Amino acid sequence: MIKDVMYTYPNGTLALKDINLNLYGGEFIGIMGKNGAGKTTLIRTLNGLIRPTHGDIYINDKNISSTTIATLSKKVGIIFQNASHQLFANTVEDEIKFSLKSFNLNKEESQIRTNEILHQFNLEKYRERSPLNLSGGESKKLAIASIICRDPDILIFDEPTLGQDAKEIESFLRLIEKERENGKTIIIITHNIEFAFEFIPRTILMAEGKIIADGPTQKVLNCEELIDKTSLILPQSRQFSLALHSKGFQNADTLFSKADVTKYLMQFLKNSSERAQKR
Amino acid sequence: MSLEFLNAFKFMRKDSFLHNLDPRAKLFLAIVYTVSALLFNQIVPLFFIFLSLIPLVIIGKIFRQWVKSIRGLSFLVIFILFLNTLFISLSFAIAMILRIFIMVSAFSIFFLTVDPNNLALSLISMKLPYEFAFSFSLAFRFVPTIAKEAQNIMDAQQSRGYEMQEKGIINQIKNLFPLLIPLIICSIKRAFNVAEALESRAFGSKKERTYYYTIKYSLKDWIFTIYLILFLTTFIVIKIQFNLMPEFFSWSLPV
Repeated sequence: MIKDVMYTYPNGTLALKDINLNLYGGEFIGIMGKNGAGKTTLIRTLNGLIRPTHGDIYINDKNISSTTIATLSKKVGIIFQNASHQLFANTVEDEIKFSLKSFNLNKEESQIRTNEILHQFNLEKYRERSPLNLSGGESKKLAIASIICRDPDILIFDEPTLGQDAKEIESFLRLIEKERENGKTIIIITHNIEFAFEFIPRTILMAEGKIIADGPTQKVLNCEELIDKTSLILPQSRQFSLALHSKGFQNADTLFSKADVTKYLMQFLKNSSERAQKR
Repeated sequence: MSLEFLNAFKFMRKDSFLHNLDPRAKLFLAIVYTVSALLFNQIVPLFFIFLSLIPLVIIGKIFRQWVKSIRGLSFLVIFILFLNTLFISLSFAIAMILRIFIMVSAFSIFFLTVDPNNLALSLISMKLPYEFAFSFSLAFRFVPTIAKEAQNIMDAQQSRGYEMQEKGIINQIKNLFPLLIPLIICSIKRAFNVAEALESRAFGSKKERTYYYTIKYSLKDWIFTIYLILFLTTFIVIKIQFNLMPEFFSWSLPV
């Protein structure tokens, strides 16, 4: 729970204003907004990388104001946009072991956990390879693996779909689903409106350090007024339905999702062919 | 730990006497203060040199950033204090700390008040080849970018349980690897990208080039330069005639 959180940078920039949020186990949440809206600042407050200048944050009903980053990182894992910012070890295996260091596991336990994670992420074949020689997608996978091996309750991804191909996004979604089944809260910062529209159930929109909308994604991202404030554009399905409406297709403006539009067009084609047959 | 102190070397556009000076005059200032600091290893003269920097910092409206740059030296200060006190004396340790403060302050003034574009122009006017002048100003421009990247790396490592403060010097040095390796790799990658971007825009295709902006050494720059020459001369004389100076010049702590 985030209560009345405000954050001002040392240079005087007010980055977060009156943030109030409730996050629940197993939720999949998207945070969207234009650059400088306060998205990254908000997630940094969640694992103590920055401390709110006002307000409180509770994780599992415990105020985290005096909890160290090292302790918080066991509960909140952030996977940053640039994987190369965290990879440094000699081998992929060592990279995972470094993440497990703060758990004080013995050698055997650490090896078992490392093997499990390498298997889960299909990185076993790269075990002895230098993380610096991995491809972009594999580096990203390793960066995610090195956080997930710590088994945090909340997983935060900063722009996870950026530079990823369709297959990689698909495998990322499978991973998210698995983590959600285990009761993890997933938070994603993204500019990818199509991705959010299709897969993320709850969306938080931010502008100028404030939360301007929080609710079901399809409802939030279909509101033109809100979208304008965040430099986003309407999802393609919505743009298409509005274009249909402007061309005289009755009630097309009431359609939001891809499924709605598809259903509407199928019905339209069916009616047209029936009319043609009657003639 | 925040690496924000590196911002203390980031140019900020302001209207002040120091900002309006020619970059060459400010480069001369950095050199004069560095040389003056290297002349002495006694506390008192170094303290006077350090004191003489403070009015400049105030005139330049950069007091807050300067304090940050000094605060950022805390780790180095502990290191110098510990080693010099252990092997030489506490007085020598304090003198060395003052020396490092002067050198960092002089260059902090330079970096905070010199626009990177003007820096390249001033180096060219000093007959340095354009490629070198441009590389130097480019490196100078990347200081805040690298500072930001270092902070991001630290955040990324802390997010997986990395702790900076470990017991023992060897552990602390070992502990720098998770920060330094990604920083070096990212910097090299960026250098290659910048080189490719420059080449794709035909950098260096013509030997002779013209400049839209030019800089000129004005009267106030000459006055400031004369002040610096007098300043340096005074301290050189003090160094040469150190035995003739009042006794308190060679004051040191009893331990």
